[in-house]
Amino acid sequence: MKSSLWRSHVLPFSLLLGVLAAATLSGSYLLHRLNLVWVGRYMGIPGTLLIIGSMYYSLRKRKLVSSGNPKTLLTLHEFSAWLGSLMVLIHAGVHFNAILPWLATVAMSVNVVSGMVGKLLLGRAREHMQGERSHFALRGLSKPEIEQAMFWDAVTVDAMAQWRKVHIPIFVVFAALALGHIVSVFLFWGWV
Amino acid sequence: MSRTLKIILAINLAMLTALVFIYPHLMVGPGKLIPGHRALEADCFACHVAFTGASSATCVSCHKPADIGRLTTKGLALAKPATSAAFHQQLTSQDCVACHSDHAGVKRFAQAGRFNHSLLKKEAREACQACHKSPTDALHQQVTGNCLQCHSQDKWTPATFDHNQYFALDKDHNVRCVTCHVRNDYKAYTCYGCHEHTVVNIRRKHVEEGISKFDNCVECHRSANEHEIKGGKEQRRSKKNGQDD
Repeated sequence: MKSSLWRSHVLPFSLLLGVLAAATLSGSYLLHRLNLVWVGRYMGIPGTLLIIGSMYYSLRKRKLVSSGNPKTLLTLHEFSAWLGSLMVLIHAGVHFNAILPWLATVAMSVNVVSGMVGKLLLGRAREHMQGERSHFALRGLSKPEIEQAMFWDAVTVDAMAQWRKVHIPIFVVFAALALGHIVSVFLFWGWV
Repeated sequence: MSRTLKIILAINLAMLTALVFIYPHLMVGPGKLIPGHRALEADCFACHVAFTGASSATCVSCHKPADIGRLTTKGLALAKPATSAAFHQQLTSQDCVACHSDHAGVKRFAQAGRFNHSLLKKEAREACQACHKSPTDALHQQVTGNCLQCHSQDKWTPATFDHNQYFALDKDHNVRCVTCHVRNDYKAYTCYGCHEHTVVNIRRKHVEEGISKFDNCVECHRSANEHEIKGGKEQRRSKKNGQDD
């Protein structure tokens, strides 16, 4: 039976994203329930450091640095960016106060999704499409018939490819907003 | 990244930066200020000192510690003080933000009603009833002072005192505290405050058992149950033998 791109790839991806949302909500709930809101306040620091660390892969990919196995770095990039984002989301704690940090949170979330779509899904989706194409060709379908049969899969992949295009620009936005938030915290918070 | 996209990004970020400086209370402030400070909302540095946070020195320049809880910042008598007694005069140091947060976003998650009593001078720390009203239940109405014998300053409940550790209050001993603790002195007690126990009948019963030392009843009796005597017969025997020596 032909399994659609939606069921075999998009749905598992959505579940992975759902885990991030569920971990954020449960982590935030626990901190509030246990009167540990102050812990969430400081989780922004390791979260940000993890995200900054995850950028090493991007530098390696663009050959700005030369050391490190790209495949290993990619795995580390995905893991540390996911975990860092989780920490920052818990840090945000569903508290709607200032606009700037919330814009930063939204930009980060879009960035996480675009990164996951770009790397996690797109490759697998293209493999899936290729497999389906070969399968239809073996069954003797003509090229237009194959294109027609795979129309919605192609639309889905195109949409995902658009997501990937926003990964770097939205990261720049996220970095600028996060920097603004960090500077304002340093400026106004009583650290000493 | 295309040149057009870079320009769009730069314009957007420049606009956001401008908005931060025009509307700092909306862009970076953690929620609305308390009504009394609403006029300062767009002037962050009215209270904050760069890189060190809200300054207590700035607070006390308007809120004189000697007047807090008594007079307004304009010198008028407070019509409805927030606390039953003025206590800011009894603080060991002026660290305003240790308790107060003026922004709604911070205030919402501050633990309401939590006050670190170690911030008070020693004599004020021990005068609980200067700030707190005694509970109106039958037990507490009998007690005057000495709150710290049963309660800690971190939490009112659970009380740290368990009467059963000393003597179980069964149905025959469910009496007013002063029956045993004369003048509400909980460091001392007497078992002769009721008609059941008298010096004469207690002495007679103990002498019959060969026990001559019976001035501290709860040393052996932790409840009214005669079969639950601490140490049992053996201890009594050794006590008896010790006295015989």
